[in-house]
Amino acid sequence: MIAPLLLDRRGLLATAGMTGLGLLAGCGGARAPQAGVDEGKPRRGGRLRIGTIEPTQAGNLDAHKPVGAGIIRGWAIYSKLWEWTKACEPTGALAESTEIAPDGQSVVIRLHQGLEFHHGKTVSAEDLVYSIRRISDPQLASPYAGLVAAVNRDTIETLDPRTVRLHAHPGKGLVALMDTWISFGGIVPTDYDPVHNVVGCGPFRLKSFKPGQRSTFTRFENYFKPGQPYVDELEIIEFKDQTARAYALQSGQIDLADLVPVEQAQLLRRSPGVKVVTSPTNNVQSLDMNVLHPALSDVRVRQALRLLADRPDLVKRALHGEGTTGNDLYSPHDPTYDHDIAQRAHDPDKAKWLLAQAGHPSLALTITANAAGAPAALVFAEQARKSGLDLKVERLDAASFAVPAPPGRAITTGGIPARGFLASALHYDAPDAIINRTNFHDPRFGALINAALSQPDVEKRKPLVHEAQHIQHDRGSLLIWGFTHVRAAARDTIGGLVAEKTQFGGWRVDEFWRKDA
Amino acid sequence: MATQAGAPPSVGIVDRWQAARLPLPGWFPWLAGRLLAGFGTVLAVSAIVYLATLALPSDPARVILGPEATDKAVAILREQLGLNRPIAVQYVDWLRHVAVGDFGNSLDSNVPAFGLVIERLGNSIALMIFVLLVTAPAAFLLGVAMAVKRDSRFDRTAMTLLIGFKAVPPFAIAVALILLFSTGPLAILPAVSILDPSLSPFAQPLYLVLPATTLLLLVLPFLTRLIRASLTETLEADYIAAARLRGLPERRIVWRHAVPNALPPVIQGFAMATRMVLGGALIVEVVFSYPGIGSALNAAIETRDIPVVQAIALLTAIAVVFINLVADFATVLLTPRLRTTTRPRLRSGTGARLRLRAGGA
Repeated sequence: MIAPLLLDRRGLLATAGMTGLGLLAGCGGARAPQAGVDEGKPRRGGRLRIGTIEPTQAGNLDAHKPVGAGIIRGWAIYSKLWEWTKACEPTGALAESTEIAPDGQSVVIRLHQGLEFHHGKTVSAEDLVYSIRRISDPQLASPYAGLVAAVNRDTIETLDPRTVRLHAHPGKGLVALMDTWISFGGIVPTDYDPVHNVVGCGPFRLKSFKPGQRSTFTRFENYFKPGQPYVDELEIIEFKDQTARAYALQSGQIDLADLVPVEQAQLLRRSPGVKVVTSPTNNVQSLDMNVLHPALSDVRVRQALRLLADRPDLVKRALHGEGTTGNDLYSPHDPTYDHDIAQRAHDPDKAKWLLAQAGHPSLALTITANAAGAPAALVFAEQARKSGLDLKVERLDAASFAVPAPPGRAITTGGIPARGFLASALHYDAPDAIINRTNFHDPRFGALINAALSQPDVEKRKPLVHEAQHIQHDRGSLLIWGFTHVRAAARDTIGGLVAEKTQFGGWRVDEFWRKDA
Repeated sequence: MATQAGAPPSVGIVDRWQAARLPLPGWFPWLAGRLLAGFGTVLAVSAIVYLATLALPSDPARVILGPEATDKAVAILREQLGLNRPIAVQYVDWLRHVAVGDFGNSLDSNVPAFGLVIERLGNSIALMIFVLLVTAPAAFLLGVAMAVKRDSRFDRTAMTLLIGFKAVPPFAIAVALILLFSTGPLAILPAVSILDPSLSPFAQPLYLVLPATTLLLLVLPFLTRLIRASLTETLEADYIAAARLRGLPERRIVWRHAVPNALPPVIQGFAMATRMVLGGALIVEVVFSYPGIGSALNAAIETRDIPVVQAIALLTAIAVVFINLVADFATVLLTPRLRTTTRPRLRSGTGARLRLRAGGA
């Protein structure tokens, strides 16, 4: 299954970036142009209050199984080996260098010198080994263990007090590791406990934690980025309702709100003292077709559904125009993406012909949607109805939607945040995909993905990816109709919030500062 | 059962009290029975909620880990949480732990469920007290005034306003209050009630004003109309007419003779309003982000957080049973006919019967 995307924190904060890894020393990625005016030099001091939306899951403090609001808390407490540039490229954070072997079967990671945990312990190779072994420990049951499944946790080598070498399981490649391990790869000390010893080396120390209400933090003076974070204290306040949070922002009870829905963005843009920052991203919006369904096992039916989608209309109506159209392929920002594949057009006549050829001139199917995907499902059902298809929309609550789809389920709404091509494949349709909701298994496609995962050289990887993308475009199971923008809002007194490609600038808690400090 | 020769006959608690020459109130056996029934109710509620939570579609382990977790991780968590055991075994195990004060840890947050819930319940009770402290005297005075001046312009105007407030959905009232007092030109109150968890809600009264006002406007029409109806009926009773014929001052008739006899149904109504505020404040909790028990229960059900759902269900059931018991007890004490009998008839419909008989009780 694929995580629902619209306003889904878990999805939006998951790994993203480019897969052009190869030999990465220092990982200095290109910077995207930053939106907004020059805000001047950051000031230190004050308290930042972030209002976050989590209708149900309050989440925990565990570095390796954060859920709900726990994900943004994780960015405050824990630092990772890598983080994203604003152009959504992985770059070194705690890692001084990352070197992938030419065969993609191993990676050497070297830590910066002098890194420190909140309780004073030096960050060392043994902590790194402990952290990767912990997240991949089956008994921890981390929801993100599948993202590092290629790493063989039993053959990790410690080369020196700051350097380790990870090996892949036989037949696996580690090229996508940086992309898949960023979000949930918090480095923790060997004496870590997610309840009694909540220690990381992130920008803030935990001060208090009230699940479902608020968490408070104080600045970590020995944070690895000199001079950061800028604010003395951080509060993360949890809201169940978007409207209540918007009121809180308007009235100055919070300073920053992430993942603002488009409807409220219009209102907030008109509010005095409030600014809205829109980040154009490549967050995938999809309709996932289950190839085990009798009708959808026929590629002609899948292609017909793709032709029935009026993508500009979907972006206009389901995303209120705040997005871009898709071509049934993910990761258009990836350096290996094949831009020569023609954009699929809205062609109901050809769709009808294909359906007739497949023996389904009057097909009836059900789209299963969560709250975030329901608008797109309804719009698409209406589009398809004009061509004689009877598409019903079944809306499920988040809990029921999360359950693995039964084989008879036809289409589900889906999406993932902008990741590189290989990382996206590892979510969607690769042979080792963690949640292959469409049950798409193509031997040639699988072989190409596995080969690409072991090929760190971007130029050599391109032909592999291009062929894989042709397969996806010609006989795949994803109807990727668009990519959505993401919005954050803040009081004018807050600096450091800029538009970027990483879906959600709100995770950069070490960069925000108060102009009135 | 026959007693053995020479053995003392078995005696009940009532007999022992009487043997000790301690005056036992007539309603005491009724109260003991109500306490036992209340205990049974709480147990039944906990069992039903437990079954209902597990009967919901979806798997708690899957919900907790989310859609990105592998099936293997979900299976391990299910095993760790003991969800593979028969439901009856899980429930008995839960009861056994609760009996020693262990409500387990929240599946979502990994913190003790009891601590999490008791704080939320405390916030809800604080809001309830705040609301009732204002609503009770306001409804009482307004209801009495409307009954005494029934069919006057004042009565008709007040009734129209009350029906108007009753007809408006609570969320609309809440939003209107926010626009009026928080985000509009008259920004004198916080728009949302994000309480500081380290302080008592009573130490942060400003955060209580808007949610309490919303609930007040929700409960006030109901209580006021109840008081008005009850008192109107009482004022039409024969003994009130007799009092008037004897020339007693109207003020004395109202406050000394009519109001006390109109109270029993009002007490039941007050208990109902208390339950409304305690359990029906979800909309206010959501709109104002007030950290109460309603939103906590909603979130716990969504995440299938069984320990938290169970803790909330149990504590809420205890609170509701307690409120009902207090209301019934007060009704018994205030009604001579019930106070002096060993079997007070206080079941559903009692309020209506009492209202009918309010004048002659």
